Amino acid sequence: MKYTLLNATAALALTATGALAQEVRVYNWSDYIDEDLLTQFEEETGYDLIYDVFDSNELLETKMLAGGSGYDVVVPSATFLQRQISVGAFQPLDYDMLPNASNLWDDISDRTDQYDPDSEYSVNYMWGTTGIGYNIGKVEEALGEDAPVDSWALVFDPANMAKLAECGVYFLDAPTEMIPAALNYIGEDPDSHDPEVIAKAESVFAGVRPYIQKFHSSEYINALANGDICVAVGWSGDVFQAQYSADEADNGQEIDYSIPVEGAQMWFDQMAIPEDAPNPEGAHAFINFILDAENSAAATNYVWYASGNFAAQQYIDPEILDYPAVYPDEETLANLFTTRPYDARVQRVVTRLWTKIKSGT
Amino acid sequence: MMGAGLFLSVIFSGDVMASVAANQVFAPWNDPKETPLIEFRGVTKRFGDFTAIDDLSINIYEKEFFALLGPSGCGKTTMMRMLAGFETPTEGEIILAGQDIAPVPPNKRAVNMMFQSYALFPHLSIEDNIAFGLKREGMPKNDIADRVAEMLRLTRLEKFARRKPHQISGGQKQRVALARSLAKAPKLLLLDEPLGALDKKLRQDTQFELMDIQEKTGTTFVIVTHDQEEAMTVASRVAVMDHGKLMQVATPDRLYENPENVYVADFIGDVNLIEGTARKTGEGSYEINWCERTPPLKSTSDTVLSSGQGCTIAIRPEKVSISSEKPEEADNAVQGKIIDIAYLGNLSTYHVKLANGQMVKAQTANTRRISRRSFTWDDDVWLSWTATAGVLLKG
Amino acid sequence: MKRLLIAVPYFWLLALFLVPFLIVFKISLSDVALARPPYFPQWQFEEGWSALTDYLRALDFENFWFLSTDDLYWKAYLSSLRIAVVATFFTLLVGFPIAYGMARAPLEWRPTLMMLVILPFWTSFLIRVYAWIGILSGEGYLNQFLMWLGVIQDPLIILNTNVAVYIGIVYTYLPFMILPIYSALEKLDESLLEAAEDLGCSRFTAFWLVTFPLSKQGIIAGCFLVFIPTIGEFVIPSLLGGSSTLMIGKVLWEEFFNNRDWPVASAVAVVLLLILIIPIILFQRNEQKNREAEG
Repeated sequence: MKYTLLNATAALALTATGALAQEVRVYNWSDYIDEDLLTQFEEETGYDLIYDVFDSNELLETKMLAGGSGYDVVVPSATFLQRQISVGAFQPLDYDMLPNASNLWDDISDRTDQYDPDSEYSVNYMWGTTGIGYNIGKVEEALGEDAPVDSWALVFDPANMAKLAECGVYFLDAPTEMIPAALNYIGEDPDSHDPEVIAKAESVFAGVRPYIQKFHSSEYINALANGDICVAVGWSGDVFQAQYSADEADNGQEIDYSIPVEGAQMWFDQMAIPEDAPNPEGAHAFINFILDAENSAAATNYVWYASGNFAAQQYIDPEILDYPAVYPDEETLANLFTTRPYDARVQRVVTRLWTKIKSGT
Repeated sequence: MMGAGLFLSVIFSGDVMASVAANQVFAPWNDPKETPLIEFRGVTKRFGDFTAIDDLSINIYEKEFFALLGPSGCGKTTMMRMLAGFETPTEGEIILAGQDIAPVPPNKRAVNMMFQSYALFPHLSIEDNIAFGLKREGMPKNDIADRVAEMLRLTRLEKFARRKPHQISGGQKQRVALARSLAKAPKLLLLDEPLGALDKKLRQDTQFELMDIQEKTGTTFVIVTHDQEEAMTVASRVAVMDHGKLMQVATPDRLYENPENVYVADFIGDVNLIEGTARKTGEGSYEINWCERTPPLKSTSDTVLSSGQGCTIAIRPEKVSISSEKPEEADNAVQGKIIDIAYLGNLSTYHVKLANGQMVKAQTANTRRISRRSFTWDDDVWLSWTATAGVLLKG
Repeated sequence: MKRLLIAVPYFWLLALFLVPFLIVFKISLSDVALARPPYFPQWQFEEGWSALTDYLRALDFENFWFLSTDDLYWKAYLSSLRIAVVATFFTLLVGFPIAYGMARAPLEWRPTLMMLVILPFWTSFLIRVYAWIGILSGEGYLNQFLMWLGVIQDPLIILNTNVAVYIGIVYTYLPFMILPIYSALEKLDESLLEAAEDLGCSRFTAFWLVTFPLSKQGIIAGCFLVFIPTIGEFVIPSLLGGSSTLMIGKVLWEEFFNNRDWPVASAVAVVLLLILIIPIILFQRNEQKNREAEG
């Protein structure tokens, strides 16, 4: 009798902890996964998955800096990740629990090492570039057949912008993307942290500011797809999403994406586990699930961002794999640059400059 | 209270002095040469299906204190609102000083109104309330100040000039409302239940004050009230209304003594109504059969009735005498039993039930102490009155 | 028991206003740091008294000084004030006739009209502001309608301008303007207007001399209820406004999220509160005057 009671208590305790342990909370970018994968994860592992989304690194970072976010897996961009690592926001990954990590693409891991040496805290989910999305027909109409769609001159040369203003140009409302691009265009180090160098970006924007219809980091997807605008500085996958929407709608708008020849910023979204994650085991299980070659390929086939998973390539749609705008060739790849996070002082300079560029104040 | 006597004499002078010198009496309604200040000519007012005023004609003369009396819903307020310009007649016309006022908006009429709720502007001081209408006229500042001071003096409100309406009593508010509506020296002042919100004692004092002010200013007053005592006290003539129709227009005493119909007889004061059928016995004298196996009642009348016509005798209780023995030589005497006695201090009213069940009230002055009262409950008594005491009415 | 009842609002004030404010104020005195949380110094209760004095010594008003060195901040405060004043004015312009119409409507309609005013609150504020994007955009309903009418040939550019911000604010805060004005107008005795007309006013002067002053308290209350939250408004300018719409709410957001500078962000918030305290006190005075006048 005594025995049974004890067993029962133990069983009860087990279920209680079990119930807690079964939950995995993931915080990822919006529209960044094939949602079939979410149910598949639950079926395969038995965990309950709670999947929330965000749309700005800043929002995620504020949660990470405050602590106690309650998430098990988060996906910051590498520059933000680096700063968050330095304040101890993440716990080191346990590679014993990530057998699929062997699928990772060394070329990408080498590049992310500058943010997270030896991938101690994070593994790559997807990566991409910040380039130019454009409406083929409308740009040709405005600038002729020789329109420099493969150059930053398209959006930073006032002569071109004056002609494009009519059909509409959006810029990303993200100084950490736009200022390096402008510096790169005038031949400065895009990753400069020198306030004097950074200040030079102002003149680039000053020339084209009157022709920019809007600074926004997500509306350009719809605006491009509908034909409301003809050019947007944006993220590769987003532009492809616009391209796909326009094709689906069959509205006569033909959208394309280009990585300018001057070079473009390459960025990485990294999966990491917060230091205070309630369920690190579940977190590892989720990361390992995503690192599976087929799962990773499914995500890329869905969102059209390049995967950091090398083994996945055999399952990725050849149309994507052979598309240099998604998987750039060697030459283009060599031209891509990366940036490091700004420290607080420089960040303030950058934000202030950006406010001045946008509002004139 | 000095004023009271004075005004009572003014009011009742019509009758008191009628026989003495007709030309000195204030009774312009009897003078065919007078033109009325206000004429209602066949005025009808309908609100949807409801007829508030039904083909009504009436003349009101300058300097009159005219009362519109009736129960709520009788149309008296509608009449007043038509005079003020807040309602327009559906049919007929209203003439003020010889001019049809239908097209004149309220703010252009030489008519002012004192509202039942007083409608004092709560954000303005007493003096600013009084000055409100004068400022709209564009009167020079000094003249306004003088006029306001005059009005404050007239209504004994000098001390309260700078207060706001919520800082004064109900009676004071009433006087402010009066002062404000009089400030513009209107040809005609309309008063909508002006004393309705005051308690009884204050109301009586204020009645006399109203009359005093009416006299001093010489303004024509039209007052709307449902309180017959108030109407009788203040008015030179009273119009009794019911269901949008005029029942009778007369001086208070005539209204009381010579009601023209059962409604007015019943509405004004206390009255005994005895129904029967008339039989003409001579010029202006009738016998009324009202109950089988009882002698007919005798009554004289100005109203011409044919024999066999249904009629009602209206007799005021104070004109009915009460006695234990059958009085000799009484024109009319009926027997009954005292059912109830209402002791009013100076008066007692006996409710007597006749053999046929008819209740008749008799009123006597209490000249003796109550312990020595002659009659008590369940006494069999005789009630008697003269042939001229009652008024014989058709129907 | 009675004391307890009096204590409730004070507790409320303490817990929901004073304590959060002191926390924000404390952060505004610290320095930004790359840490969790991202400011310095920190003090833990178990570190004891001596640590506390060190802690207090490390606090300073540097961030407030910083705000005065960059014209961005006072320009943003001024711009917010200007937008709030203009928006409040337009809200009054739209709200007063609605409140007036409601107060003059037949008695049996009034609960329904009141319901209609409150009804938008049943939908998320964010969704309602988003809906305006669909209405105001270049190919939005408004432009489609105007072009269909033939009033305009080319679509009007409204979205992402200050005009759109004003429209958004007027729309969002309209009930806050209507309700206090309505409650003032509803109490207004109709006979006051008749009395004014009777004393020689036209309809218009009667409105101006009686209706308007008597609804003044409601107008003032409504204006403050719109003005105060509008100054710190963030969502409406970010969704409907353009890049050049400068408002302190946006600046605050950037300090907090882009610069990760919680201390400066807190200083901006503290100054904003100080600016708001003046109208809040005026509002309270007005309310008190109101109550006294009624009492």
